[in-house]
Amino acid sequence: MAKGLKKRIESWVIHWAIRLHRSSSYRHARKVIRDLLEDPKNPYKRFFDSFIIFLILSSVFILIWEVKHPVPKWLDYYDIYFVSLVFLIEYILRLWISSDLSGELVEEYERAVAVGREFRLWPALGRGVKKKLAYMVTPAAIIDLLAILPAYRPLRVLRIFVLFRFLKLLRYTRSINQFVEVLATKRFELLTLLGLLFFVTLTGAIAIYVLEDMHNPNINNLFEAIYWSLVTITTVGYGDIAPVSEMGRLIAMIIILLGVAMISFATSVIVSAFSEKLHELKEERIVERINRTAEFLIICGYGQMTKMFFRQAEAKRYNYIILDKDPQRVQEAIHDGYDAIVDDASRHTTLSRFNIKGSKVTVLCMSHDDVENIYITLNAKSIDPRIRVIARASTPKIVKKYERAGADHVLLPNQAASTMMVFAILKPIMYKAIHAIFTGQNVALLDEIQVHEHSSLIGVSVGAIDFRAYHLILLGVQKHREGRFLFNPDDSVILEEGDILLVMGQKASTSYFRESSCLDEKRCAR
Amino acid sequence: MTATKRIYLFGYGKFGRSIAEELAEHEAEVVLIESKESHFHEARKLGKFQRTLLMDVTDDDALGELPVRMDDQLVCVMDDDHLNVFLVLSLRALFPESKILAISDSIHATRKLKMAGANKVIDLYSISATRIHNILNKPIATRFLEGFLEAEHEYSFREIVIPEGSFLHGKKLEEVDFRRYGVIFVGMIDVELGNSFIFVTTGLEHKIDTGDIIVCIGHDEDLDRFEHEIVPSGEEPQ
Repeated sequence: MAKGLKKRIESWVIHWAIRLHRSSSYRHARKVIRDLLEDPKNPYKRFFDSFIIFLILSSVFILIWEVKHPVPKWLDYYDIYFVSLVFLIEYILRLWISSDLSGELVEEYERAVAVGREFRLWPALGRGVKKKLAYMVTPAAIIDLLAILPAYRPLRVLRIFVLFRFLKLLRYTRSINQFVEVLATKRFELLTLLGLLFFVTLTGAIAIYVLEDMHNPNINNLFEAIYWSLVTITTVGYGDIAPVSEMGRLIAMIIILLGVAMISFATSVIVSAFSEKLHELKEERIVERINRTAEFLIICGYGQMTKMFFRQAEAKRYNYIILDKDPQRVQEAIHDGYDAIVDDASRHTTLSRFNIKGSKVTVLCMSHDDVENIYITLNAKSIDPRIRVIARASTPKIVKKYERAGADHVLLPNQAASTMMVFAILKPIMYKAIHAIFTGQNVALLDEIQVHEHSSLIGVSVGAIDFRAYHLILLGVQKHREGRFLFNPDDSVILEEGDILLVMGQKASTSYFRESSCLDEKRCAR
Repeated sequence: MTATKRIYLFGYGKFGRSIAEELAEHEAEVVLIESKESHFHEARKLGKFQRTLLMDVTDDDALGELPVRMDDQLVCVMDDDHLNVFLVLSLRALFPESKILAISDSIHATRKLKMAGANKVIDLYSISATRIHNILNKPIATRFLEGFLEAEHEYSFREIVIPEGSFLHGKKLEEVDFRRYGVIFVGMIDVELGNSFIFVTTGLEHKIDTGDIIVCIGHDEDLDRFEHEIVPSGEEPQ
């Protein structure tokens, strides 16, 4: 009878495990929750984090306020029920995604079926539960659990556990996390120091206890001796307990000296750990910040081309990061006021640090070394073909190679300059016009005007627009639907939504045209 | 108009090579001056240029002996930036009337070349940086500009002199419908103002006279047809 029941339970559990495991909505929900809680690249995580931080701070504030002031009932309810409930839900969710219980059960079951062995539920379940337990005893999970406890009102003492909510902040504030991480790199030194401190404190405590137990009315047991020893060694010296005998004072002097030495040693260890890591932390911040943007440039190499690129006015609108292998150049870039990090863009791990899936990434290969540029191009394209690559090539001969590597645009600075020079020599008067157009000078700025949904241009024929009145020249229209560029279009061409007009004129003229063709000012802020 | 002027090209290196060859293709008179022997022999072997000279460009006496006329153009495209600046400085002192052009391939050199006396400095980085900005922000403008540069260019610029007796004579600019001819009027060259180019986008108002030079963009065949049509009637094509 009992055996039959056990069998039924077993088959019921595995049935549900399989069902959950195969359900796409279950897996989807799990992924969404995991992304929200753990993926720093998730844009919503920031909101969630801010929300939790707000709950924590308000809860702690209520605790402090309560000491001296009466708290309105609704605030009390908010603290007890709402905050705790949110924390409880968060705890359960974290426990849920910490390991995949149903997945493991199913895997075990399938393995058993595959080899023809009888499936035993309990050992498999035990292993899964053990994993959950392993998560529950991690410091972070314990803090989370304790932070829920203050909700239990009958025990007033539990109120102090609100402070664990403060500790919860650890998870949500990166700087504290990084602080701990930095200290962890010096674990050996710090542990050695702690051991030494422990040893010296204990020695001093025992000495003072043995020597002054009879004479000093303040030292009555070993605990008081240890308390005195620690207060002295850390150079705090409250003075509530002081040595009275000569021998006691001698001991005090020795442990004060040792204390000063140890504290300065500890300080230097921590400072050196930070100065080693600070650089890295800063770079990480830059990378994280850029990863949150929707579109950004990775500029490889800080040379003359990059400098010129930034000198031009349009550069202000980009999100970018500069990578260079040479620390000196990076220093120069930082000195010039740009975000730059020391890293080798030709390495896979370097480019993988960036949020390539979520953002539109463009890599600019600005080095004058073709081999390096091609390598970076290949590297970027091998990580994700969607990464746009604009590369600089030294000679026309090598352009084919760049194209084969997958570069989207290849620049030939030398050739462009030579072509311009020939123009300047053969057609000196025209050169000025062409130069103005190519370098985008104000008088002849090429600009694109998008016919968007709020534009008054929709349905209007090209001939009906008086470009001359705007001091603009219409060069062509990119037809959205046909996907084709019409140079010097016929008057009869009708503009549709999504079309782009290519016009030339002064900046003020283009902006004026853009504004006046817009029906809804707020929406056309582009 | 420009073909009879002589061009002194200093340097047959990374820029000089392509410039020299393109100039030769346009049948310009090119005198090539190079200070490096290997480059000099290469240029000589090609044999496309009117004269090829081997010369130490830091030597003012040798430079002074060049038979430079007033409207010759001096083009400095030495590989070495410092040498280029030095050369411009020497040439300016020797030939104060001539037009000196130079390529700058470093940010710092552009201003120095100008100060040394170059009339025109082509800044390699500035051109390329603008192109990157265009690629990033204005894909259509980029494609349009590339249409000019490619060997089998789609569109080109053309200077057109208004011939005697043309129907355009005496007309105001805004009265002429250039688009009907498939060309785009960009601006004109003001001969009185020292051959300067004026963009129509500056709000140019002008009555066209015989001898004016207008500048248009268009497909080559459209430009040809337009040029035919503006000559006095009777010779109209088709």
